[in-house]
This record gives sequence, structure tokens and C-alpha cells, in this order.
Amino acid sequence: MTKARQLLIVLLIGFCVISGCDPKPQGAGATYQVDNVPIPDGLLAETGGLDFLSDGRLIACFTRGEVMIFDPKTSEWRLFAEGLHEPLGLVVINDTEIVVLQRPELTRIIDTDNDGKADVYEKITDDFGISGNYHEFNYGPVRDSEGNFYIALNTASSGGGIRENVRGELRLNGRDGEDGKRQMYSVVPYRGWVLKIQPDGTVIPFASGFRSPNGLGFDDLGNLFVTDNQSDWVETSTLYHVKKDRFFGHPASLVWQEEWKDVDPFALPISTLDSLRTKAAVLFPHGIMANSPTQPLFIKNNEQFKDFEGQFLIGEMNRERIFRVMLEEVGGEFQGACIPFIDGQGLRVGNNRLAFGPDGSLWVGQIEHGWRGDQGIQKITSTGNPPMDIAKMSLTRNGFALTFTQPVNPEGALAIKNYQLRHYFYAYQKKPFDEPVDKTTQRDLQSVAIKDITISADQKTVALVLEELKPGYVYELKLDSIFNQSGKPLDNQLIAYTLNNLLPS
Amino acid sequence: MIFGFAFLLQTALLAQGGDKKITTIAIKAIPGLQFDQVRFTVSPGAEVKLTLSNDDDMAHNMVITQPGSRLDIVNAAQKLAEKGPEMNFIPKSPLVLWSIPVIYPGESKTIQFIAPEEPGIYPYVCTYPGHGFIMYGAMYVSEDSELPDLAKDENIPPSRRAGDINEDTSENTSAHHHPKWHPYDNSAPYLYRVFIEGSSLASIAVNLPHQLSYCWDAELCQLQFAWEGDFLDNTDLWYGHKNAYAKVLGEIFYKEKIEFPLRIGTKESIPDPEFLRYRLIDGYPEFHYLLSGVEVHEIIHPKEDGSGLIRTIKISKGNDPVWFILTPGEQVKYEFNKGKIVGGALMLSPEEAKEFTITMTKANK
Repeated sequence: MTKARQLLIVLLIGFCVISGCDPKPQGAGATYQVDNVPIPDGLLAETGGLDFLSDGRLIACFTRGEVMIFDPKTSEWRLFAEGLHEPLGLVVINDTEIVVLQRPELTRIIDTDNDGKADVYEKITDDFGISGNYHEFNYGPVRDSEGNFYIALNTASSGGGIRENVRGELRLNGRDGEDGKRQMYSVVPYRGWVLKIQPDGTVIPFASGFRSPNGLGFDDLGNLFVTDNQSDWVETSTLYHVKKDRFFGHPASLVWQEEWKDVDPFALPISTLDSLRTKAAVLFPHGIMANSPTQPLFIKNNEQFKDFEGQFLIGEMNRERIFRVMLEEVGGEFQGACIPFIDGQGLRVGNNRLAFGPDGSLWVGQIEHGWRGDQGIQKITSTGNPPMDIAKMSLTRNGFALTFTQPVNPEGALAIKNYQLRHYFYAYQKKPFDEPVDKTTQRDLQSVAIKDITISADQKTVALVLEELKPGYVYELKLDSIFNQSGKPLDNQLIAYTLNNLLPS
Repeated sequence: MIFGFAFLLQTALLAQGGDKKITTIAIKAIPGLQFDQVRFTVSPGAEVKLTLSNDDDMAHNMVITQPGSRLDIVNAAQKLAEKGPEMNFIPKSPLVLWSIPVIYPGESKTIQFIAPEEPGIYPYVCTYPGHGFIMYGAMYVSEDSELPDLAKDENIPPSRRAGDINEDTSENTSAHHHPKWHPYDNSAPYLYRVFIEGSSLASIAVNLPHQLSYCWDAELCQLQFAWEGDFLDNTDLWYGHKNAYAKVLGEIFYKEKIEFPLRIGTKESIPDPEFLRYRLIDGYPEFHYLLSGVEVHEIIHPKEDGSGLIRTIKISKGNDPVWFILTPGEQVKYEFNKGKIVGGALMLSPEEAKEFTITMTKANK
């Protein structure tokens, strides 16, 4: 009886039940509108996952284990599933079935009797280790076109130990030093890995070298991208293009690779590790672009954000920011630039999960979970004002080309003083034991002179010519006093290009 | 009117040095993006020695601003963009009176300044990206060292208006009056998957009617313990940023002492368990698992009078005898609807094992 009653609970929410519901004023010319989604009383809306059902309802999971469905038409919430252990991601399979990644397992959750509430919680796999360290968060799943799931497993934190009853084989050489208090570590299987999980539950270790990979996403061609969070071995946060059997730099996870299982990966020479690793496609300068990036979401066939079709939006925990990443293939690998997408305007911090609604609107779920963050869900829509922004930054043989979303006024766009360019690099290194976790060093930080600027006939693209281009550097460009033809300034003025490879000459 | 002097007494020590009076303030940055002291008073024109120590695991700075300027400075710090790190996220502004650059965990830094002659409320804030909206406090410059009622002090973070940090903590961990945890009322039966002491890291805690609860181990696939009283306090577990367990809020009356009490074939055959799923039947989870490839279903209900548990086990496709080894001791009284006791274990034929019950009644105290 009690269950039947619970089943029928429909949480009717008026708008603005939560404090600060009114979006902050967003100037008349604002490109986007940020609205708060009403949250039912009693829900700690720390969002672990977001997706949409075919009828346009939002489905979301939260850190206290609830999976709830929100109907934007009626603003009603209802409970779909509960009792999960730290669910940090979900995907919709169909309108009665979802797959959720929780702490102990990847779980298929099904409403078999079509009463609107799940009744079967089925293990897809639990074939990965748990040491009990609090930081072993599990991220994903995302699904490829063949129905395989991909998940990413956080390493354990040097700020916490392991428990006596770990799950999986224990390999203590995945920890630096006896107490493990130096670097993030991997002492149970596949911590610091991305795993591929076939629909039948078979686990295929896919790629290694991750530290805190809180975000996976596919582009439209099936390329998998994963973000990683700054600290030991990850001098600044990253976006990796993840291919099978690649290693991305954090050594702890190597102990789960047969040839490295008996070695101390932290004692390997940097040159060896460096030769094994694949570099990030894009670096997110720490304290500048992002300190704690989350999920990359690919923009495809989206009317609201069509200027940025084919690019990724990525959430950021530490700022009221979602940023944007544009990629290009150079020398056979992806590289590219990052730029803020939306800053402030009522957006909260803690932007953990992103999903596009059926109308193309961008929904953002926030989380804090003991770190800098927030709670809630917000919806970002285009106001209809076209963005005045950098559509694309791409490499040329002698510099960079910037393509704007609108023709720009040549007077500002051709003035060298309106471009402040710097370059720097981040060392791939073992973090010094006594260095704080969030300290980052920009090395060889220098201003870069711009030799020449030209503008295209359509006045949408400027080409910056430099004396020299240095692979391995981040080129960070600050723009000022660049306007469209009617005097509107740029929405975002800071962009950073990660130059791994030069164009073939 | 209640005036709070406690913070003043804790933080400001007046050091007499000849004619010179130095007010010494010690503030710590602590986990949870907060300063341990969220307000203090100094006299106008006083010489102030302020030390910030970083007891957190993240970087912090401190900026003291002109009255009413905290958010302006926080926003200006955000706008430093790429210049932020090299400027310690401290904007150049006449609204900034004094500042302590970014200090890292374990570091501390002291500044000395002459307090403004103008009485007023001077905010102090950490302007490290993202911190400034919640990590702040207020320096009261006044002659009389009186502070407004803490609960109504809008110059300190809302989370700190309830009292000092210690009081906060003790309230949060108070076991018996936890706040509402969900946007609905839980009514038994319901469950949480948790880390819990005495069971594997893949465990399922289930709350039953009659103030009964149990913990089922989804790694070993067995009931591990049961308790009476309240269910769980998950506050620490749900916090996320430290190793923690769900806390049992009752008295454990049964602990399984046998690894794999359920065995198939012989009493000695240690099974290889594999968890499959649970299905909710009237809210009660029915666990489905394999023991060395043989599928077992198990559902646990409370006895009608609340005096114990009834476990219904179904092994519908087995071809071998089934054994259930009784946990030694007097914790519970066992009763069975099928099979016979042979040397401390229940033995069932494959036919009997298709569905049988184990009733465990709490021993009388």
C-alpha cells in the first residue's frame, strides 16, 4: 500500500519555490537567457546525470540516489528510481529503461510494469575495483552507435586511504610510496582507465593514464573525448581524444597493463612516460579557463547554438562558466582552442552535467559534493540575438586565423593593439611532494608580437601573422575593442589555442 | 537584543606594548570554503596584525575591502581572466584596502595595517575563482566592540549565522533528527546502496516495517547483518569529499558469521557468487544471484509481529541438494518450513529448495 501511494506521488512545483529563482538581469542584447528549473522541496539537487526521454521530459539523477523525471510542460517532478549509491551519470535507453553508473556497478534500471516507476535494477557489470577511497568516482556512461557503454574511473585520492575489504585485486605498486600521500593512485583494477562495456556486460579496458576524468562525450563521427582535472601529472586541465590502448599521462593506472604490472610507475623516467603518452588535444589554462572541467557535449543540428555546430560545450565547476572547445585535425591528431561560452548571467558554479533538450536548449545540472560547486538545474536558451563571438580559431602556416560569427568592423579588427597574445607551456611532471594540489606553473610565459593582421573580404576572418610558432605551447589571445558593424562588442574576449602540431609545410 | 562577544574574545587579543596597542587577529581558511572566524571587531585607527593560515586543501587569498564592496571586488577578480593567477586574483582597485596573496595549504601569512578611522563594516573575502560568493567575513570597526545578533548578521555567510562551526557540526551529525533527505517521504520498505561497516563495498541496506533493517552484501551475495531501531544516517557518506560510511542507527541483533552460508551440492562446497539484480516486489527487493552458476532468488520480509525476519529463498533450477549453515550462537532462533537439520546445517533436497523459508526470530534479551 505504502508503495502504491509513493508511486502516485507527483510533485507539483510552482515556479520560484527555490530562493533566487529569478534569473539575474541579462542585458538587452544578451545572447543567452539562463533560467532556473524549479526544484522540489527536499531534493538536494546535486546533479550526477541528465538526459531526455523521447517525449521531451528530463530525467536526472542526484547524489542521494534519486532518479527523477521533470516534465517541462507541467513543471511536475516524479520519482523514477531511488536508493542508488552516488550515481554520477545516466543514459536513456528507451522510455522505460535507463542505464546509470553508480559507485559499485553499471546498472540497467527498468520499469517493467509501465507504472512510471522502476522495479528492476540489473547489474550490467561490476567488473572493476573499489578500494573504498572516497575519490574513486565513476563517470559516464556514454554510448556509441553500436550500443557499447564507455565509463571513466577516477583514481583514488592521496588525501584518503583504502579500506580493508577492497573489491578486486590489490596492486600496491599503483601507489607512490607506502602511504600513498603523494599522488593520486590506482591500487584496484582499472582506476584511472576508460572502460568499454559491451551490451552483454563484457568489460574491455580501453585507455589509461587518467587522473580525475569527470566527463566523456562523443563527436558525430564516433570520436570519444574525455576531460581530466588538473593536479599531479596533469599540470593544467585537459581534453583528450581517447583512442583504444592509448595512455594519457597519469602513471598510476599503468599497473593494470600487463607489461607494467610489476613496476613502480611513479619511478619510471619522465622521458619514458612522456614517450608513452598521448598529449591532450586541448589544454584549459588553470585559473584562467577552467580549474575543474566536466562533461563535453557535442553541438549537432542545433538551431539555438548553430554558430557553434560541430564544437563541444564543457561545464566548469569553479566558475559561473560553461566553455566551448573547437577542434581541428593537424598532423593526424586533434588540437584546438577553448573559449568561454557563457560566463555569469545567472549561471551558477558547479556545472557538472549538460544535455540538450528536444528544442535545442541547453540544460545544466550542478553539483558540489564537498568541493566548490552548487546545486540545481538551469536551462540556457538563445534569446534570438545572434552571438557576436569567435566562431573558430584555427592554425595557419604562420599564425592563427580567427573567424567571427558576424562581420567585424575592420578598424578595430586590424589594430594590432587590440590583440594581446601570450604563449606558455605546462610541464609534464611528477608533482613535487610538497607542492599544493592546485598549484600550476605556466612556463616560459612570454608576450608574443603580432607581425601583421589581414582581414577577409567578407570581414569575418582575420589572420594574425607571427614571427614564429612553437609546438608544445598554449597561445592565449586576449581581444579588445573589436565590434561588429553596429558596434556590438565581442561576447567573449579570451581564447587559448593548444599548439601540439604545426601544419605540414 | 543579544550581542555576541564570543568571536571577539576568541580572535582578538590585545597586546599591550608601551603606548602602542596591537590587535592580533588569527583567521584560518578551513575546508568547505570558509574562514573559521567570520567576524571580528577592531577599534578605529587601531594597529592590527592579521594572520591568515590555510588549513584547507585548496588555495586561498584574502582581500579586505571598503564597506559594501565585497561583490564588486569578487566580480572584478573574476574579470582578471588570464591575469588572475599572476595577480593572486586580487584586482587593482581603490576598493581594496589590504590583501594577502594566494597561500597554499599549510602556509600562513601575516599583514599589519592601521584600521580605518571611519567606523563601519569592512568585508574580508577570498577572491580565488569561485570562492568569493561564499567565503567571506566582516571586520567591524567600532569603538564599542559590540556585534549584531549572529543570526541576523547579513555581513557573514548565511551558513554561519546559526552559530559557530562546532555547533554546526554537532547538529549535522545528530543522529535522531535528520532533516528531510528526499522530496518525498520514505516509508518502509526502501533501500540504499551504501558503504557500510561489516559488509563489502557493494552493499544494499534495506529498511523494513517494524523498525527492522538489514544489510545485504552484493559482492558475496548474502545477508550480512540486521538491526532494529532507526535506519541509517548517510550524512557523512553523501558529503562525498572524505572516506565515510553510512551509520547504522539501531542495535544490531544478527550478524552472519559464516562466509557463504548457502551452499549447493555438499556442505563444504564454497560457491562462486555473482550478483545479477534485484526486483522490487511491493517495495521489497528480491535479490537474484548465481552461486557457482545456479540462480538463486532471495527476498526478506519482517515477521508479522516484528520479532524477526523471514527469508524466502528460491532455487528453482537446481539439481543438487542445498545446504544452509546456521550461524553459531544465540543471536536468533531459526525455524524452517522445509528440510532437516544435519550437524548445524539445514539440508534440503533440490525439490525442497525450489522454495523454502528461513525464519530468524530475535533472541529474548
